[in-house]
Amino acid sequence: MIQFEEVTKKYPNGQVALEDINLKIEDGEFVFIVGPSGAGKSTMLKLITREILPSFGKILFNDENILQFKEGKIPHLRRKIGTVFQDFKLLLNRTVFENVAVPLEVIGKKESDIEKEVSAVLEKVGLLDKAEYFPSQLSGGEVQRTAIARAIVSMPQTLLADEPTGDLDPKTAREVVNVLEKINHDDKTTIIMATHNAAIVNHFKKRVIVLEKGKIEKDEKEGKYESD
Amino acid sequence: MSQIKSTLKLLRRSPYQALAAALAMSLTFFVASIFVVLVIGGQLVLNYIEQRPQVIAFFKDDVTESKINEIIASVKSTGLARDVKYVSKEEALAIYRERNKDDPLLLESVSADFLPASIDISVRKAQDIEQITKVVKDRPEVERVITPENLVEQLVKWTKIIRLGGIIFVATLASVSFLIIIMVIGMRIAIRRDEVSIMSLVGATRWYISRPFFIEGALYGIVGSSIAVILVYAALLFYSPNIQEFLGPIQVFPVSPLFFVYLWAGEALVAAAVGIIGAAIALFRYLKIR
Repeated sequence: MIQFEEVTKKYPNGQVALEDINLKIEDGEFVFIVGPSGAGKSTMLKLITREILPSFGKILFNDENILQFKEGKIPHLRRKIGTVFQDFKLLLNRTVFENVAVPLEVIGKKESDIEKEVSAVLEKVGLLDKAEYFPSQLSGGEVQRTAIARAIVSMPQTLLADEPTGDLDPKTAREVVNVLEKINHDDKTTIIMATHNAAIVNHFKKRVIVLEKGKIEKDEKEGKYESD
Repeated sequence: MSQIKSTLKLLRRSPYQALAAALAMSLTFFVASIFVVLVIGGQLVLNYIEQRPQVIAFFKDDVTESKINEIIASVKSTGLARDVKYVSKEEALAIYRERNKDDPLLLESVSADFLPASIDISVRKAQDIEQITKVVKDRPEVERVITPENLVEQLVKWTKIIRLGGIIFVATLASVSFLIIIMVIGMRIAIRRDEVSIMSLVGATRWYISRPFFIEGALYGIVGSSIAVILVYAALLFYSPNIQEFLGPIQVFPVSPLFFVYLWAGEALVAAAVGIIGAAIALFRYLKIR
């Protein structure tokens, strides 16, 4: 469970990215965070992983206030949260297999287990035949699926996806979200996806939280999004 | 991928920086090894000289045995002598004969009366030669005193200079190596900025991220010191005939291989520590984890 209590984030340049946010996301939910660029979507995701700290408020993950975590506990929080970054953040000098293996390496898994688990997740996202490819040899959709595979390989409790369909054509974008929906359905992983792709949001009929200038404008169970 | 494998992969990716760091370490520890060998060699020479009689006092012909015993007692009472040995006229003749046994001409006309009785004094510390010499020289029964001039004094002085100079020189080189390691590892951290950031975001601990850099620092030290010891070993092996010729009767060769094992182990330990501390400073200064 993730909970924001009166969370405000003000950047040092004075820009208010989020203002007085209150929300609760239950385990196993699939939530779209939508809004135009600069609405505060990415800021919200970065706050959940403690990449940044809020100016005010409280953020709870599994009923624990993550703002009170000591530095040594942050990696453990992040191991429970898989993230698909807006700019993918793949290591260009490592193969698809090696990229996906990173979260397992950092938790000290045995090489034989890594081999098995990475292969299984690559099969799940349909990239097993591209395991030895480098990111530069992949299409946009494949890069995105590699990033998803890396985010889910350690079976996180929650998956954050920041604009995962950003530069993809509509068909590939839908395929990517299908993968996320399958993970949500099969593994009961909580999915929080930030996007401004109205077509995708409206197609999947999930909970939609609309952000506008750092504030929650709407929060609907089977919501819709109408972008400008 | 294990951490060591990943470190080696990183070294292969930018071999010139790695080479610079390892060579700087090699140079430092090559010079350090030479100074260690010089200091130990100097000490061996000094030990040899200290074990020989350094002061020989020859008596006048008419000196009685009781007077000689009195002089021996006065030398012993200083506490500076390790050994005082009386050499009678007959013993002196025997030594003379032994030394010149290949030259019958020199032996023909010599009898015990020609040779003076003497005492051979070995001192505990080379620095005390002067004081002992003074004790015997002042006695009217003593005809002449022979000392190895100021050889020992010079040797002690040079050993001290080498030791001090070595420490200063090696400390300077070690500082340079240290700075090079900080610089090289700092550059590596900068090159791997994205990787560090990704690792941190997927849940790597600070220690997990830092470990390859520590391994890298230690590797520079171990490789550098190993090269240095191998070079010094080879050089010593190559020049051993010349060195032995220079040292004459002072036997320093063959040097036990165990000495080089200890030298390597000691230097590798110090060098690895230099590398690890250098890495720690670079990490503290440049590794920013969100």
